[in-house]
Amino acid sequence: MTAASTRETKTWELRRPERLLLSGCLLLVALGFVMVLGAGLAAGRRLGPLDLLPLLTYAASLVVIHLTLVLSRSRGDQILPVAAAFLSGIGLLAQYRMGAFEGADLWGSVRLIFPGGVLVMLVVCVAGMRGRYRRLAAWPWVWAGLSVALLAGVLITGQRFRGGIYGLGLITPTELLKVTVILFLAGLIDRDAKVLGKWGRPLPVPPFKGLLPLLGFWALLAGLLFVQRDLGMFVILSVALLVMLVAGTARLGYLVYGVLAATGLGYLMLTLFSHGHRRIQAWLAPFDDPTGTGWQVLQGLSGMYSGGLWGEGFGRGNPEYIPIAESDFIYSVIGEELGFLGCAAVVVFYLILFGRGLRVADRIGSGFGMLLCGGLTTVLATQTFLNIGGVTKFVPLTGITLPFISQGGSSLLAAFIGLGLILAVSDGEVAKRRPQQDKPKRRRGRADA
Amino acid sequence: MTPVDPSALFGAIVDSEVWPILRIGLQAAFFATVVYLVKLGFDLRSLTELRHLGRSKRSFRVFFIALTILFSGVLLYQATWQLTGLFRPRFLTFMQAYDRRQFNPAHRIRRGRILDRRGEILAFSERHGSRVLRRYPYGPAFAHVVGYSDPKFGASGLEAAANAYLNGAVADSLPAWGELGRRLLIREQSPRGQDLKLTLDTELQRLAVRRLGGKRGAVVVLDARDGAIRVLVSTPAFDPNRITAGLFRPGRPETPLLNRATQGLYPPGSGFKILTAALALEQGFRGTRHCPADGYATSSRYRKIRDHEYYAARRAGRVWKGHGNLGLATALAKSSNVFFARIGVEYGHAAFSRNLERFHFDRRIDLYQSPYGAWTMRTGRAPEIARSDKYGLAQASIGQGKVLMTPAHMALIAAAVANRGLAVNPRLVATDPPVPLARFMSAAAARRLAGMLRKVVTEGTGRTIDIEQPAIAGKTGTAQNPQGAAHSWFVGFAPAGRPTLAVAVMVEHGGYGSATAAPIARDLLVRAHESGLLR
Repeated sequence: MTAASTRETKTWELRRPERLLLSGCLLLVALGFVMVLGAGLAAGRRLGPLDLLPLLTYAASLVVIHLTLVLSRSRGDQILPVAAAFLSGIGLLAQYRMGAFEGADLWGSVRLIFPGGVLVMLVVCVAGMRGRYRRLAAWPWVWAGLSVALLAGVLITGQRFRGGIYGLGLITPTELLKVTVILFLAGLIDRDAKVLGKWGRPLPVPPFKGLLPLLGFWALLAGLLFVQRDLGMFVILSVALLVMLVAGTARLGYLVYGVLAATGLGYLMLTLFSHGHRRIQAWLAPFDDPTGTGWQVLQGLSGMYSGGLWGEGFGRGNPEYIPIAESDFIYSVIGEELGFLGCAAVVVFYLILFGRGLRVADRIGSGFGMLLCGGLTTVLATQTFLNIGGVTKFVPLTGITLPFISQGGSSLLAAFIGLGLILAVSDGEVAKRRPQQDKPKRRRGRADA
Repeated sequence: MTPVDPSALFGAIVDSEVWPILRIGLQAAFFATVVYLVKLGFDLRSLTELRHLGRSKRSFRVFFIALTILFSGVLLYQATWQLTGLFRPRFLTFMQAYDRRQFNPAHRIRRGRILDRRGEILAFSERHGSRVLRRYPYGPAFAHVVGYSDPKFGASGLEAAANAYLNGAVADSLPAWGELGRRLLIREQSPRGQDLKLTLDTELQRLAVRRLGGKRGAVVVLDARDGAIRVLVSTPAFDPNRITAGLFRPGRPETPLLNRATQGLYPPGSGFKILTAALALEQGFRGTRHCPADGYATSSRYRKIRDHEYYAARRAGRVWKGHGNLGLATALAKSSNVFFARIGVEYGHAAFSRNLERFHFDRRIDLYQSPYGAWTMRTGRAPEIARSDKYGLAQASIGQGKVLMTPAHMALIAAAVANRGLAVNPRLVATDPPVPLARFMSAAAARRLAGMLRKVVTEGTGRTIDIEQPAIAGKTGTAQNPQGAAHSWFVGFAPAGRPTLAVAVMVEHGGYGSATAAPIARDLLVRAHESGLLR
């Protein structure tokens, strides 16, 4: 009993930075709430007791995150939860500001998304820590099967909306592919690393025989995603595939072949399908049809221009003029209300998040854990880049959400599960590395020296 | 102490005058917290190291650096819209037309005024509620030059070509850069653009509109020495204060949107004889040509080309004796079709098309240009005449048949004759420096041609407008056309001794040049003389 409580006191002490930083996030979001509520009052809205609920839920969630990690004696990364808390806080403010919580009752589903996501993250983290996550690598093809089943299920039961196919109630269960496919890839590449690393000599030809199962699965995935018109998801997963192949086999050649394949596929897509062609048109020449194809991105940019360097102030802009502002275009709402500096802050915290995720992968060094962390971080980074790049007209619009910030339960859930897995991996191993000794601290010190 | 309801207290604060300041304070505190968070995380970095995981392999280091560069690129690109969107004219136009955010600075830009050479206001912006509207005090008089700027229909004319400048996005001096930077940092209530000063003269321009009356036509007056355009009128015009969808409906015969002065292609009639005369002078024409009353024929199969005296006499039931032998100066003064058709055919097809090439046919000339657009005039259209088609060549040499010209091109040619053969690029904006365009003819040819054109007014077809002050030189034109009565032309310059202003007047279906176009040109030159423009 006392031994256990001393260990917990140690973790409490260890996780002091996390505690301080999470308090900072809470302060930040509280300030934002006062701004939004004030702007609402000034615009003639009435405040009710429920209006403070999102802030309280947020605060409670942060406390639960910290306490759970302390009580489970997690040695996992402390910056990742902070970065996620910062981004979700901004997202919560933006959603609240867009009126997402208006009219929702005490237990409205919209109120449960964030705490629910946090809860799932913690469960995944605690379940996977102490190296238990390795069990996920046992049967990679189960994850592949699950991915295909998810896709097929949505195709069978789903409904068409805005050119794509969505699940019942416009939920997108395919968001979970971002986790299942990465688990599959991490497991498979870890198992077959030797075969996949054996390239032909002297010609740099990849081992097609070893790659065959992977390529077959990828073709199936591409086909199903294409029927769904979910090009963005395919791009995200393919980038992750390339990064994981290179990281797992140390063969840069995969990158070269991947870029070649991407160029060819991209060209094919554009020439064959009007859906993609329209988006390219809107990207390259939005002013040719400003009230049609260019409308959405130009409205978003107009909002940002209107925000300028500092922004209008939270709650004072007019993001309602941007179509689907609360999901895909949430970044331009931030640009309008918090200005360029607000956007820069968001990007900085995304980079911190990715940097930490990749650092965990680097420290793990090799094997399933490294591939998992690298893959999950790559998915988040690619998703963020495609969304922010699309909104700012840097790249064509792909219609995907911004992790942790955009509205959308499935997307948030997938991001939190991914984060939970990275946190679990970052807790490290128990086996071999810690024999029956009571002073693990010494060993750690030696490993560092 | 009684307990205070926090929500009521908050409401009172929001309603009070402190709130705007408090709001800015809150936002500052928000950003300060972000900075503090990053700093705190950096300070605590040694405590958050994942030492238990072992040494870093750094295999993802390059990937992370690539990510950082990529996202920095996105932010930089974003800044070109969010911070310096002012430099994207189409973006600005889009926002002014379609953005409904009343806080958008694009709506509050008071575009610079457009002024005439004396500072008379031709266009200005006025606050109207939350929007800024564009007003044009002279209505249709400057519609084609200045154009319109309308939230619904976009912009045309100089309003479009000089859009960035008028919006204040072209920083050409240190204070202008300072102003731009200030606009970026603090959100000014109504940023001001830069004024654009034109070379036009409001008094002359309005006189030209009045003299054209309800007729369709065009007037161009420009300074032969430096290309400054003083008058550029096309009638009928539209009212830029009231742009409606009906204006853009096709099939209106009066085509108010067409700038007849710079885009309208008309048969030039006898005015073209200036060009043929220039060719003759360059070819070293000497002596006389016989011009029989019965006319000139290139072949027995075609109609004869005859002088207008022949037809006048026939209508009166008399027989005309003919000009007999004519020299170049007299032929020009009497506007002899027979003479010019004859020498045109004499010099041949190649010389004819070389001549048109030298006079800059089939071109577009920028009267104003910016990186975002240009205000252009087109020159005449050179006809394609087959080598075997002598009749077509004879017709073209007297400005009939397939050769077509714009009034602005005619004025430019008159200006070149007045300016010793050198054409100066016409310009609309006072601050643009004069730039030579091309040499249309040798100085010697120009000097002789100028003398001949003076003779047209003192002794020839232009006698009706021969006045003491100013001494006018020029050429009348009466251009047959298939649509109806002849177009009436006058092309010339004044004062004849020391040419300053060149002029071209064209009235659609106005009849004889000497009767309709020439008096308009005279009135304009007299007024210019009175107001000191001919000095």
